[in-house]
Amino acid sequence: MRRDFPRSLDSLSPLYEFAEEILETNEISPGVRFPVHLAMEELFVNMVKYNPDVPTDITVEVTVTFSGEASNDAASSKEVTVTLVDDGGVEFDVTAKRHVNIDAPLEERTPGGLGIHLIQNLADRLEYTYKDGRGEVIFTKGSGNEDV
Amino acid sequence: MFEIEYGDNGEVVCRGRLDAAQCEKAQGFMDGLVGASTLDFADLEYISSAGLGILLKTQKRLVGSSSGLRIINVNNHIRDVFRYSGFHTIFDIEAKE
Repeated sequence: MRRDFPRSLDSLSPLYEFAEEILETNEISPGVRFPVHLAMEELFVNMVKYNPDVPTDITVEVTVTFSGEASNDAASSKEVTVTLVDDGGVEFDVTAKRHVNIDAPLEERTPGGLGIHLIQNLADRLEYTYKDGRGEVIFTKGSGNEDV
Repeated sequence: MFEIEYGDNGEVVCRGRLDAAQCEKAQGFMDGLVGASTLDFADLEYISSAGLGILLKTQKRLVGSSSGLRIINVNNHIRDVFRYSGFHTIFDIEAKE
């Protein structure tokens, strides 16, 4: 399913409800749901933050794919893919490695970069493309890789 | 939905989802904390990096005055986010039983 969301933090609640309905319908485990919601928020907020004046909405698509003997078999594995499209924004490659020192003492810590750091660690796959002003991020997380 | 208030024993009770849209509310409350404080996350379902930023800012302020935050009843998902962020080394954290 795909939906457009206004470029605002006020979209976070409807964005959560949109994805949660899809995840619930497909009986996605909490261990996949949590990182999917987290990635979706971090990526969406990033687009809002770095491209605040772009007039277009942000398009979000959530799909669930199955593998296994029966598509609705509880034992089959399920993979959730979240795609966010930001048309008209600046380039921001979320797959680029950024140095976040998670071992630093408290006085040296800053919150900057934590969101992207989390996404990169939680994703099974993370892809980014940018062409003609159109940025697209694809985050994929599957059952069997529930680490949160 | 996100709620933050004092519990019966003086702990700070957080409920719901602490996402980027709720930061102003959370920060406003946290800015009022003085001295060693306990955050009860028993009913906190979710936190993103925006929420982590508030915890970090508050911890820095409180540690600067020789106190700090203790976070109790942390669910598995949030605990792992703390671990990925290295927060388990700078906060006193107790997992949910």
